[in-house]
Amino acid sequence: MRRADKDGRLEVAATVNGSERRFGALPRTHLADALRNELQLYGVHIGCEHGICGACTILVDGLPVRSCLMLAVQADGKRIDTVEGMADGRTLSPLQDSFHRHHALQCGFCTAGVLATAVGLLRENPNPTRQEVREVLSGNICRCTGYETIVDAITDPAVLAAFAKGAGA
Amino acid sequence: MSKSEVAYIRPKSIGVSVPRREDPALLTGRARYVADIALPGQLHAAILRSPIGHGKVTRIDVTAARALAGVELVWTGQDTAGRCPGVASSLELPGFVATVQPLLAHDEICFIGEAIAVVVAESRAIAEDALELIEVDYEELPVVADADTAIAGQVLANTRVPANMVYRCDRVTDDVAPAFAAAAAVVGGRIEVGRVSASPIETRGIVARHEWTTGALTVWLATQMPSFCKTMMAIFLQFPEHLIEVITPQVGGSFGQKAHVHPEELLVCLLAIELGRPVAWIEDRQENLFRGTHAKHQINDLAIAVDGEGRFLAFRDRVITDGGAYNTLPWTHLIEGHAGMLVITDPYKVPAFAAESISVATNKCPIGSYRGVGFTSPALAREVLIDRAARAVGISPFEIRRRNVVRSEDFPYTSRAGLKISEGSFLATVDKLEAMVGYDAFRARQESARKRGRYLGLGVSIYTEVTGVSTRTLHYFDYAVTSHDTATVRVEPTGKVSVTTGIVSSGQGNLTTLAQIAADAFGVPVEDVTIHTGNTRHAVGFGTIGSRGAMIGAGTIGRAAEMVRAKMRAIAGRLLQAPADEIEFTDGMIHVRGDPGRAMPFAAVAGAAYFAEATHPENFDPAMEATAAFDPADIILANGGHVAIVEVDIETGMVRVEKVFAVEDCGRMINPMIVEGQIRGGVAQAIGLALLEELIYDENGQLVTATLQDYLLPTALDVPDIEIAHLQTPSALVPGGIKGMGESSMVSAPAAVAAAVNDALACLGVAIEHFPATPQRIFDAVSGAARQ
Repeated sequence: MRRADKDGRLEVAATVNGSERRFGALPRTHLADALRNELQLYGVHIGCEHGICGACTILVDGLPVRSCLMLAVQADGKRIDTVEGMADGRTLSPLQDSFHRHHALQCGFCTAGVLATAVGLLRENPNPTRQEVREVLSGNICRCTGYETIVDAITDPAVLAAFAKGAGA
Repeated sequence: MSKSEVAYIRPKSIGVSVPRREDPALLTGRARYVADIALPGQLHAAILRSPIGHGKVTRIDVTAARALAGVELVWTGQDTAGRCPGVASSLELPGFVATVQPLLAHDEICFIGEAIAVVVAESRAIAEDALELIEVDYEELPVVADADTAIAGQVLANTRVPANMVYRCDRVTDDVAPAFAAAAAVVGGRIEVGRVSASPIETRGIVARHEWTTGALTVWLATQMPSFCKTMMAIFLQFPEHLIEVITPQVGGSFGQKAHVHPEELLVCLLAIELGRPVAWIEDRQENLFRGTHAKHQINDLAIAVDGEGRFLAFRDRVITDGGAYNTLPWTHLIEGHAGMLVITDPYKVPAFAAESISVATNKCPIGSYRGVGFTSPALAREVLIDRAARAVGISPFEIRRRNVVRSEDFPYTSRAGLKISEGSFLATVDKLEAMVGYDAFRARQESARKRGRYLGLGVSIYTEVTGVSTRTLHYFDYAVTSHDTATVRVEPTGKVSVTTGIVSSGQGNLTTLAQIAADAFGVPVEDVTIHTGNTRHAVGFGTIGSRGAMIGAGTIGRAAEMVRAKMRAIAGRLLQAPADEIEFTDGMIHVRGDPGRAMPFAAVAGAAYFAEATHPENFDPAMEATAAFDPADIILANGGHVAIVEVDIETGMVRVEKVFAVEDCGRMINPMIVEGQIRGGVAQAIGLALLEELIYDENGQLVTATLQDYLLPTALDVPDIEIAHLQTPSALVPGGIKGMGESSMVSAPAAVAAAVNDALACLGVAIEHFPATPQRIFDAVSGAARQ
């Protein structure tokens, strides 16, 4: 299904932030590196490359995935959503806007991964308790905020209403 | 005019939780961090790091690595030694032993993770492949794996540090023996805070580019100290400073770890100069845990003598810093125990004090700065022992603090170590915390929980935070250096305000808070102000370190704004026919004091300065910008306190933090939302330090916690919601009455958590003195007590 070029790179075809994209990747290249280096999606941040910090979390076919633990070639045929595709044009999504209002980010390095995790949670459970949010969020390390305002932002009524309508991030 | 002059700023935007202007770029993935810099022709570096703790390289063969396709360059220590001797870190202090850490070890290897060779290749992956092809033979030397071995001095950690003794000092030498002899109670312990890492989620990183046609060296660097790094690059690389530009892109957290000149930063500059192509080095997480600088490792042998009412009679402290193999630049080993010793009695009245600090070299990563550096460990030791003293004399932890804190009637109070306390709200902090907590109700709940086999504990910590690191601060801690920062303020022809500052941001929100300050300096809306930062071309400064961004920003912007305001007053005075000194700036207007009707728009006066010579006074200089320095006249102390409530499971040793309360007095708050964000983030790190995070070396100097599966950062399940209250005692020495506050929670909250664990276990006769209080340590202590 994929041709290797002379350097051994395989062609990957995926729907990335709503657009059909094709890019080459060595079999050993993880998806985070490919998204950054091949598609210039620098919103995907790499924090540990061993699946603990969660900074590189993206949505693959709608579910949160650590892109440092997935090979780029595994993205073939998948729907990939990164933080770059979350806003509606120049308008922040309700979730992004809530993070802004609640001061749920400081340095911003973990934020894209946290947003992806939150979207995955809210699509499955549009009315989570704070404890449920904390449990799901425990796979994303934030070194700046102490998490409380992130929980505030995810459980904000405007966010929950948007996801209840299916119009979340 | 004095660099310490306090400019007048009328708070209007200051005090408001203005949403952060940084956020949209960060929330949409449009912000650019150093790892996102992609320049044409850019190469990537990877570093071979020592797998042994102490030894020598007897043979190194890079032939195969150099031959790998895609590899541009391989260097070993032989290659770097002639170009740069290394990071030298010294202080002008009698008896202090300076160290030089080579960019790549070429003689002696002094800790695991020390750099040995570097590969530069077309991609990071190829560079890492090449590292695998480097053959190295090592001769292992005996390892100094702990401070006691280091002090014994029989085995050397670094053969250039005689007897492993980097610095030893007894600056405070009261005769405390009579006080201890007369005491109603003496409490003491050997309280150790283990090694931690600041662990910003973005690791360290640098991209350097040298353009031989112009000679320019352009460096993108994730740092808190861009100007300092630029000057050190000039000195250590013998490179003309005016041709160096350090650009600070978005920085993904720093917490002090990015407040050093790291060897890799000089190395990558050399590589870029050598190759004539841009070179990037982005640290991976394992490197960061090995080498990103470690922090906090102090052992305080502290004793407190109290009278029958719990009043402090004397403190005696002997603090050991397990400082690692080299001194960091600029902080050296002194940044931990030595600095800590000089603040350990604050914020209490302690009539007699004797202290000695000892800093020793060990075969570990150099100790560096991390939020609250120096102060965290002594505060923890002190507060844990104060609670023990309260139990010994039978009073509450709030009462013992009430009886001992410096009170307003004591101002100015000078500690025995020599720190002058002139303002603060120590007593009010104790009272406020006690009211927030509901102390009596907690004790009742604790008692009833115990009957059900559940162990709750409450810990209190009261702090001073030395904020806004300045010349006076540095001198107090025995750094004989001077610091100041600058800002440039320009009023544009249409009345908008452009500010250029040396204060950078790694998440603190300085673009927003400094805009609030500048807006109030001119009485204009905050939207009319832009803050430019992140480029050493335009401003100088010591760095965004030591809780100084807001304070130093306010001081510099305030002074520069006043210079421009004076010109605007001169024009407005002519146009409004009033003396210049009666002109005021309010709500976008310039008006005559007491007569708001005699007014004209701020923008009109700005426009007149640029375009209407007829409005100018005689000999008017129409440059509508000014640059000013600031360095506060004295050490600025913020203060406050924390209470933690925990539950300890004595079967498993697990600790759950149920609640944390914080009282913060950082003077007038610029942006309460951001202040509270700093508090919450610091409390999370505090819980990590007190309960979870520890960098552990084995007896061979092997770091056994080199992944985030072993080095445990707090998650959303470890950190509770935090209740915050504010007191506001304005500083007289900073515009707007501002004080710093970024480190307070890491100064004090670890102590509250540690004291709470001890409170929970006190009924079992168990004391925890080695932190983090891991399940194993608690389990061992509880089962040890049960056996006795």
